[in-house]
Amino acid sequence: MSSPLPPKPQEPLRTASATNAVTGRRIIALWFPHWAAETSRADYDATQPFALIDMHKNAQRLVGLNAAAGKAGLYPAMTLLDARALVPDVQTAMAAPQDAAARLQKCAYWLQRYTPWIGEDTSPETADGSTDYGLLLDVSGCAHLFGGERAMLEDIAARLAAYRDTRGITMRAAIAGSIGAAWGLARFSPTKLSIVPQGQDAEAVLRLPPAALRLKHTHIDLCQRLGLDTVAALARFPRADLTRRFGPEPVLRLEQALGQAGESLNPYLPPPRFLVRKNLPQGVTQTEALAMLIAEMCDALAAQLQAAGQGAQRLDLALTRSDNVMLALALPLAHPAADARHMARLFEERLTRLSNGAGGLDTGYGIEQLQLVAARTTAVTAPQADISLSRRLYKSAPIAALGGLYDRLISRLGAQVVVQAVPHASYIPERAVRFVSVLEAQAYAPDDATPTPIEATTRPLFMLCAPEPIEVIAEIPEGAPYRFRWRRVLHEVTSAYGPERIGPEWWGRFVGQSPGESGGHNSHTRDYYRIEDTQGHRFWIYRDGLYDREYDRETDPPQQPPRWFMHGVFP
Amino acid sequence: MQNALPKQAKDAQQQHKLKRLQKLVMQHEPVLQRGACITTGFGEIDAYLTAHVEQAGLPSGGVHEIAAESAADMAAVLGFAHRLAARFLQNGEADDVLLYGQTHAAVRDGGQPYAPALAAHGLSAHQLVYLDGVTMPDLLWAGEQALTCAAVGCSLLASSEAAPDFTYSRRLSLAARAAERPVLLALGRTGASAATTRWRIAAMPGQGWQVKLEKLRLAYDTPPPVSGWTVYPQRSHASQSHASQSVPLEEVQTSNLVPLLRRAI
Repeated sequence: MSSPLPPKPQEPLRTASATNAVTGRRIIALWFPHWAAETSRADYDATQPFALIDMHKNAQRLVGLNAAAGKAGLYPAMTLLDARALVPDVQTAMAAPQDAAARLQKCAYWLQRYTPWIGEDTSPETADGSTDYGLLLDVSGCAHLFGGERAMLEDIAARLAAYRDTRGITMRAAIAGSIGAAWGLARFSPTKLSIVPQGQDAEAVLRLPPAALRLKHTHIDLCQRLGLDTVAALARFPRADLTRRFGPEPVLRLEQALGQAGESLNPYLPPPRFLVRKNLPQGVTQTEALAMLIAEMCDALAAQLQAAGQGAQRLDLALTRSDNVMLALALPLAHPAADARHMARLFEERLTRLSNGAGGLDTGYGIEQLQLVAARTTAVTAPQADISLSRRLYKSAPIAALGGLYDRLISRLGAQVVVQAVPHASYIPERAVRFVSVLEAQAYAPDDATPTPIEATTRPLFMLCAPEPIEVIAEIPEGAPYRFRWRRVLHEVTSAYGPERIGPEWWGRFVGQSPGESGGHNSHTRDYYRIEDTQGHRFWIYRDGLYDREYDRETDPPQQPPRWFMHGVFP
Repeated sequence: MQNALPKQAKDAQQQHKLKRLQKLVMQHEPVLQRGACITTGFGEIDAYLTAHVEQAGLPSGGVHEIAAESAADMAAVLGFAHRLAARFLQNGEADDVLLYGQTHAAVRDGGQPYAPALAAHGLSAHQLVYLDGVTMPDLLWAGEQALTCAAVGCSLLASSEAAPDFTYSRRLSLAARAAERPVLLALGRTGASAATTRWRIAAMPGQGWQVKLEKLRLAYDTPPPVSGWTVYPQRSHASQSHASQSVPLEEVQTSNLVPLLRRAI
């Protein structure tokens, strides 16, 4: 790229240009000149000048303007003081660049209704440090679905003007054969929507100013000083000279704009391999009808998956409402599935649950478009069809059978409810085991290292969710309990085994654990007792701390002896 | 009614109707059940089952209710249920799992299962799939779903506050019999039920349980003893598994305590 190139722009220099012509690549560049102001959550009058301000170079400066502010003579990077001098009643709000970027990404997702391939804008740094908001859409072969390119652009403009949660978005757009040409035309064409017929990128671009080439502001300044006021003037120079004078970048940008150098579009999302989409002529509001449509889509998706020998590990369902709100349902699967009935049943379960719940599925004026994507897939070997009709259908693959059950349980009850216990290297009893979702539990080996093997009979079969404080009468300082009151019931202790002393994990703070999760419990030595009361009920209780040793008389109140806790129940 | 039938004739008619109904019911659900049976692992109970019950054990296809004598006995109930579940799992394939679901109230009152202790009851942590607090309808739904899955060897549903109503109990019972897989219901409270057996458990001093067999929908010649049996699970387990019994650090008999007691709090 940096090597000097022959000075004839007409010659196809790279194969990329030929490919562009053959494949008829069509790119839409969208430019939102007032994006930050128009998507701002601040409350202001859109007909009057409004500016977002930020601290920049030791002054409050304008970073985002609305159309009225632009007309009033304000410009980005102007200090707020100057702006007030010009327009005394300018409305202002603090800028939130992250919010604006997040909303741009959301808009990109929404634009997937036009094409799956949506790219980030590759704008150069501007002189005033303000952010340029734009998007690139690869719409090759998509326009005819929307009645042609002009109709498609007008549709985008109309829908964006009524875009949700905003004051309507001002947009300039261009459609051309290369990213460079579309980008330049969107920003510098005299018309709001410009369409370059196929193969005529070069003529359109050559009329534009050099800034349309996505050049750095230093290069633009240089062009102005040299009197190069159009791209055509720049293109007239031999490229070797340009490279010598400007460096490699402007030549590359020029060739990209003229369609002589290839350029790829970095998508926000990689286009999904397995996708089923349904556009409905009329909005559907009924959950049952949706479930039927989804079942049909699952059939189609399963056919795609089976043909490719893949199983879905995660399904994403996006429902687009007629008022442009997107509802998304994500469905993780325990086991890669390519079974349409299974998938449909999971979605049906989820939909009924959503529509029954309080914050239910709000179909609004109806769902217009459904899109089902297998977001994550993995290769599966097709299971052999059942021949024996035995009772144990999945005898050879119990995990597959369990996977189906897990999916159904999780889709109705939630992943945090369907759990398995996995060991964890800790001496603190409640930390020795953690519950993880069955989806993650597969990753743990059945016998992960525990600090010491524990005799099972010394541990209660049931552990309370959190130790409960009890009132105990016990021998001082280190004796077994004599009687205690738990949940307002008095228990007389007939026999006690213990103590089993469990010390705090002093290394915990060195490996990044918090010293005590439940109110500093883990900072004291515990003496555990297995006790039985007169009725034969058996409990696991402990004294939290040692008399006189762990309770410092200087800091702790002297009247505060160690407390007792109920921790578990033996059957 | 002028020509009212004499009382005897009326009774006979009713008896006849009842017989016909019973016959009809029997046609649809034979009392004698096919499929595998298990023994409980407790000598006295097994002795009764083998000697007096035609099936000589608890059939796999069916609902077995295990109820608490009082609310405080829920832990003993679940302990007994875990024993039975372990027996059912041993009877099945090696990689079968136990689906153990609890209602929110059961989790709050009785706590969560503690994996290191499972070995003492014949289970292991990776066999246990646990539902950590669900509503009663969801619990029953999960039990029914588990019956459709071949890899679930047994499901144990615990609810300390309510029992399923008769309709649901019967529905679950039929599903369990059709699937020939067991469902264990651990209940703090009981109602009308269509379960195959109902056990009532109370804790006994000395690490024991009092086990009563209240209901037996199987063919038997002698009814189970009303007073039940007293079993000692730790002892029976130790004799089975030859596990090394741990020696407590120090056994304290509180009766011998010097009266140097003070209220701790």
